[in-house]
Amino acid sequence: MSEGEPPKGEPAKRLDDLDERLRRLRERAPDEAVKKVGPGALARQSAYGFAFRIGVELVVALAIGGGIGWLLDRWLGTMPLFLLVFFFLGAAAGLLNVFRAAKEMNRDG
Amino acid sequence: MAEGANPLEQFAIHRIVTIHIGGIDASITNSAVAMVVAIVLVTLFLTLGMRRHALVPGRWQSLAEMSYEFVANMVRENSGHDGMRYFPFIFTLFMFILFCNLLGLIPYNFTPTSHIIVTFVMAMVVFIGVTVIGFARNGVGFLRLFAPSGVPVFLLPLIVVIEFISYLTRPISLSIRLFANMMAGHTMLKVFAGFVVSLGILAGWAPLAFVVALFGLELLIAFLQAYVFAILACIYLNDALNLHAH
Repeated sequence: MSEGEPPKGEPAKRLDDLDERLRRLRERAPDEAVKKVGPGALARQSAYGFAFRIGVELVVALAIGGGIGWLLDRWLGTMPLFLLVFFFLGAAAGLLNVFRAAKEMNRDG
Repeated sequence: MAEGANPLEQFAIHRIVTIHIGGIDASITNSAVAMVVAIVLVTLFLTLGMRRHALVPGRWQSLAEMSYEFVANMVRENSGHDGMRYFPFIFTLFMFILFCNLLGLIPYNFTPTSHIIVTFVMAMVVFIGVTVIGFARNGVGFLRLFAPSGVPVFLLPLIVVIEFISYLTRPISLSIRLFANMMAGHTMLKVFAGFVVSLGILAGWAPLAFVVALFGLELLIAFLQAYVFAILACIYLNDALNLHAH
């Protein structure tokens, strides 16, 4: 670590030198330094968190779709029709959400 | 089973100071106190940490600067430079959730984020805020979010409904994720801690080791869930700011 050695001298000069050394280090590995502390770093560590997210996404979309269908049916008096239609639309929305979440994860990883 | 051994008892809300205003129960509860403590500690952490303004930061100043930079990077990467206008909100959200989660891990402390009403209100603020910003920035054009480009016309009615349902799931999945993680983790900790007591000095060591490991996991989850909540708020904000980026 020859670059890590702090040189002796005037404080102002040492500070200038620190700037110089930092600049050199950043030039050498600009991406690595960002990646290490970047936001994506934490998310990649937890597959459990991601699995949980996908599960919630699927179930919630189904519930919302079913809920909208049920409300429409109660309002229009066509009991099973909209419930069924929106149940499947909700399932589609859930898959869409999961697809997007997976795409996002690929971008990070 | 003894009173204190119920794993769900930790989520009970008690009134500490009873206040009734015109028939509305506005009492100060343990949940409210925990939230106020979290806010006060965040404020102290940031203001006391930055008190010295040192060029070469000390320990506390490093922590404060790190949390600032972490969130600033997250907002910049996920919502672009336009998103930095909303950085104060995201930073507040992140620090509040993080401190609620972490303080809840201290034994006998209450965890506000383990209640769905707390997380749901935060998610609704994000949801309504993003919708308002989207309409304010793009006008009626914000509705194009529900109709991605390149979709054949005969599929459009179907896609619009699906996209709309997908949009409505946002606040619910956002709030359920945080609340369920906190509640499940704390319940599990309590259950295994109960095993330690009931198995006694002979066999209690196995669940004790497990509790220690679980506590480490919970510590990670406390950070991770605050992070996930904030980053999803950024991603939703990005939809409202830069429409085409789907």
